[in-house]
Amino acid sequence: MLPGNPEGLPGLSWDLAFNTAVSFVTNTNWQAYSGEAALSYLSQALGLTVQNFVTPAVGLAVLFALFRGLVSEGERGLGNFFVDVTRALLFVLLPLSLVVALADVWQGSPQNLAPYEEVQLLEPVGVTAEGDVVAADDPAAVDTIDQAVVPLGPQASQVAIKQLGTNGGGYNGVNSASALENPTPLTNLIQCLSLLLLPVTCVFSFGRFVAGRRQGRALFAAMFILLVAGLVAIAVAEQLGTPQLAADGQVYMGLDGQSGGNMEGKETRFGVTDSSLWAAFTTAASNGAVNAMHDSFTPLGGMVPMILMALGEVVFGGVGCGLYGMIGFVLLTVFIAGLMVGRTPEYLGKKLGPKEMRMAAVLCVTTPLLILIGGTALCLDPATAASVNNAGPHGFSEVLYAAVSTGGNNGSAFAGFNANTPYINVVLALEMLANRFIPLAAVCVLAGSLCARPKVAVGAGTLSTSNALFVFLLILMVLLVGALTMFPALALGPVAEHLMMVL
Amino acid sequence: MTKAKTWITGVLFFLVATVLCGVLYTAAVTGVAQLFFPHQANGSLIEVDGTVYGSELIGQQFTDEKHLWGRATSLNTTSFTDDAGNPVLWYAPSNISPASDEFASIVQERVDRIRAAHPEQGNQPIPSDLVTNSGSGFDPHISPAAAEYQVERLVRTTGKSASEIRAIIDACTEQPQFGILGEARVNVLKVNLMLDGIL
Repeated sequence: MLPGNPEGLPGLSWDLAFNTAVSFVTNTNWQAYSGEAALSYLSQALGLTVQNFVTPAVGLAVLFALFRGLVSEGERGLGNFFVDVTRALLFVLLPLSLVVALADVWQGSPQNLAPYEEVQLLEPVGVTAEGDVVAADDPAAVDTIDQAVVPLGPQASQVAIKQLGTNGGGYNGVNSASALENPTPLTNLIQCLSLLLLPVTCVFSFGRFVAGRRQGRALFAAMFILLVAGLVAIAVAEQLGTPQLAADGQVYMGLDGQSGGNMEGKETRFGVTDSSLWAAFTTAASNGAVNAMHDSFTPLGGMVPMILMALGEVVFGGVGCGLYGMIGFVLLTVFIAGLMVGRTPEYLGKKLGPKEMRMAAVLCVTTPLLILIGGTALCLDPATAASVNNAGPHGFSEVLYAAVSTGGNNGSAFAGFNANTPYINVVLALEMLANRFIPLAAVCVLAGSLCARPKVAVGAGTLSTSNALFVFLLILMVLLVGALTMFPALALGPVAEHLMMVL
Repeated sequence: MTKAKTWITGVLFFLVATVLCGVLYTAAVTGVAQLFFPHQANGSLIEVDGTVYGSELIGQQFTDEKHLWGRATSLNTTSFTDDAGNPVLWYAPSNISPASDEFASIVQERVDRIRAAHPEQGNQPIPSDLVTNSGSGFDPHISPAAAEYQVERLVRTTGKSASEIRAIIDACTEQPQFGILGEARVNVLKVNLMLDGIL
């Protein structure tokens, strides 16, 4: 009925449409569908691209309200939401997206409004009566296919903002693993840097705007240490590969003339290194785009992305929301460290009262709590077992990853998991909604109550929040809350699978 | 601001954002892309004498012994059809766990098939990208090691000399960008078009 649908793709079911709308409005960009086979150009550009722009702008506006709450006293207020969102769109997101989109097209990404192209196959294939694909000259073949499809459309424009806005919802089902979305190692680097750019600059602007650069650098250090630890763990696990792939030495896993390691689900142009780098970046920041299939990572290589998400998406995290989540952990750390030395807790000259601490606690526990509730809800329905793509503990890992990814507003997936059923669509949509808007509301309350508090002078007894000791305490607190709530579930999934692999 | 005014501003903001980010932004990128990068913006298609043989960015399945083989593929025949309603081919990643018994038996099948077609290589280990499916399911490339593994078979089946085959592979090989980014890779479709004398 609507224009902009040259492939004549049908509409979505109500539950998939609900899930998708929630997913993009909450900056999660979980996708229970395959973009190139399900959505028209109009839906991609007007439905999804617009939300890709607006959600990071909202994150920035809320973050800057918190900033103003920390610096101002009383009457100056928290600023105007619409002014902040418009500034973020016009001066940050749109100009950066234009540059990144054109760089992607230059390297090879499609950007047009023409229908998909059909191309001649060099080796046609046959299809049997049962729908199996066989050689074209096979006697069982009832039909031959001599054409393949090349999906086109406005891809680069959406890919640019999906990265810059830490959205992560791919134009194509396989996301940035597709050579159409991510044609070369250069675009891979640009997209990797794009997804971290705004979350990292948020940390430094926090330093300049609010607290002095030392404070910003301290938060950066804590996040960076967690990111590098995750990256190294993934890269080592993936380069080692699995005994199932090595097949007693029949398969060459080394580095001579190839990337080597676990290449299942990875692209040749990226290899193990670029795929591991991306996996760490995309799950630390709440981006959720992938350039390799996380479902086909080794057990431990796939567990680390889950941990990075389950930490509450505070290791840089999403645009705006990553840093305000981390500030929740900072307040918690200040509070606990204050109790240990017998001081009333204060941060950046603002005394922290019961109301502030309640909001900080909401910020810290919402994600782990929602992950556990969502994961439980999925496991309670016996039909979920029909959605998994792998047997044994890896099947549970697929379910867990779905709950973690939506509970952290990340959006990446163990993509073998078929999440497009009415029950799963609704459960995950509710999880995404709660995890986006509960912390967001808590931050607004926190900003308002901090704003009303007068500044107190820094004294000899004030706990330093910019030295190495504080960075260490902060990392500890993040790991304590996020990782420990997840440990029992991880033990049943990836840890069990790893033990079965090596024993 | 009153509540009603906030709602009105919200709705207006949404409409303006939709026009700005959905329509104008998409149109601007499309316009500039079509003007300066028409080949890339329209799918990097390989067209020879009016026939489109594919896109440089999308791999195809090759099992003919006269062709260079690419990554393992799983084919999808149900997602897309042409204008006449006939199915056209598309691809999917496996999403299989590389630590599973199922994966071990799939790898063994591929190893056996590849070894049978490459008697020249004896018991040489097979490069890992030849026995695995890719992230997209249509990876257009294989590693130089995987291409080199197949050279002697291609000499036997195509009648070309080893140096001719290696020259074709070299012509279709991209090194890491700027010497450091990504991996060296061979474009399989281009090699096969050159082996067939089309390109």
